[in-house]
Parts: sequence; C-alpha cells; structure tokens
Amino acid sequence: MTAQVCVLYFAKSVELAGVKEEKTVAVPTPISSHDLWKLLLQRHPRLCELQDGVVLAVRQEYVPIGDQVLTLGDGDEVAVVPPLSGG
Amino acid sequence: MSKELSDVFKLSRDWLSVQEVVDSVSSPSCGAISVFIGTTREDEADGRKVVGLEYEAYEPMAQSEFNKLCADIRARWQSVTHICVHHRLGWVKVGETSVVMAISSPHRHDGQQAIQHCISQLKANVPIWKKVIPRSQSDQRDRHIMSMIIDY
Repeated sequence: MTAQVCVLYFAKSVELAGVKEEKTVAVPTPISSHDLWKLLLQRHPRLCELQDGVVLAVRQEYVPIGDQVLTLGDGDEVAVVPPLSGG
Repeated sequence: MSKELSDVFKLSRDWLSVQEVVDSVSSPSCGAISVFIGTTREDEADGRKVVGLEYEAYEPMAQSEFNKLCADIRARWQSVTHICVHHRLGWVKVGETSVVMAISSPHRHDGQQAIQHCISQLKANVPIWKKVIPRSQSDQRDRHIMSMIIDY
C-alpha cells in the first residue's frame, strides 16, 4: 500500500533538502523508520550530513531512525528533526 | 472550590515581557513564583563575533510537547500551580531575551525544582532550533575597504 504524506523540513535540513515542505510524497506503508529515512535520502542525498543525531516526527510524535514500523495514512505529517536547540 | 491550573505556551516574534509571564502565573494561593530567563549571549562562531540568533519551531508539535512537559512537571511536583513559557521566534540579537518561563507554587521548593526541570526538558524535547548568525563577511570586507581608502 502507498500513503501520500506531507514532509516538513526544519533547521539545517531545510538547507540540505532545499525545501521546507513537500505536500505529497508517496510512501509505502507499513514502513520502518529506517526505510522512511532512506526514502528521504533518495529524494535529497545531502540530508546524509544529518545522519548522526537526526530523528523523525510522525503525526507529531518523535520516532528514532531504526526498526520501528510505522503505519502511515494519506495526509499524515512527517517531519525531519535535526538536533534541537531551543531555549 | 476547584483550583484551575493553567499551562501557557507562547511563541512570539516580538520582544518578550518578563512581567507578562510573571503576571500570568501569579495566584493568591502561591507564595512563590520561580522564574528563568534565557538571553542571547555574545559568542564567537568560526572566528566571527555572533550578532544574534534566528529561532524557528515546529509550532504545533512544540505545543504538544510543552503539554507533555507540563504533565510531567505536575506529576513530579504536585503543588505546582501555574506554568507559563514564552519563547522567541525569528531574529533575536545579542543581549535580548530568548525565553522566559515562570512557575508558581505555594512554597518555593517545588517551584525552584520545577523551573530547572522545565528549561532542561524544553531544550531536550520541544522542537525549537536556533541558528547562530555571525557578523557578516561583507560587513568585515566593507570595513577593510573603507580603512584602505582612508589610509591612502
């Protein structure tokens, strides 16, 4: 199955991807967070500079890059989250 | 009589008012208001002086992570009454305030512990990023050209 998700980029990942938002990205589902990250790397290879320390957020919940299996639906929000630096 | 406990989180492109944050947590039942203010420090990046910071946030998720943080604070320190955090977005120059947080409690112990936890957890979990803006190279180049013209 395929889901059309919205991908958001923040901080350094905006610079590396050249974009802040991609409204419809086709993603197989279910998918591991590792494979989802690989898919984003295929779209924007420079994102590999974030390899150490990046996490994803899916439906506004943090997801580390690894074996966790995600079930995505149309319109779900996926965000690329570089290391936080608020405060 | 039920006590309404409030958690307020605001992201603002305007300068922050410490008084506003303090006023929003004050309560007749609270003898203590604990406050933390984070300011933009003068520093160096790649040998150039830092002139300011640019903040951005994943806004809806920053709000939901803040809500979780408040639940965590209230679970650890039950006497905490009101919590308020204001954080800047956009350009903040050196010397300006980037974040103000205030927590009220009947007695000071819980509030003081909670405010320390609040800032460390905000930095760990709330999706906000800062970008260091050093003094621009064109700035430095212009200064160099001007000084050569004057010497000549």
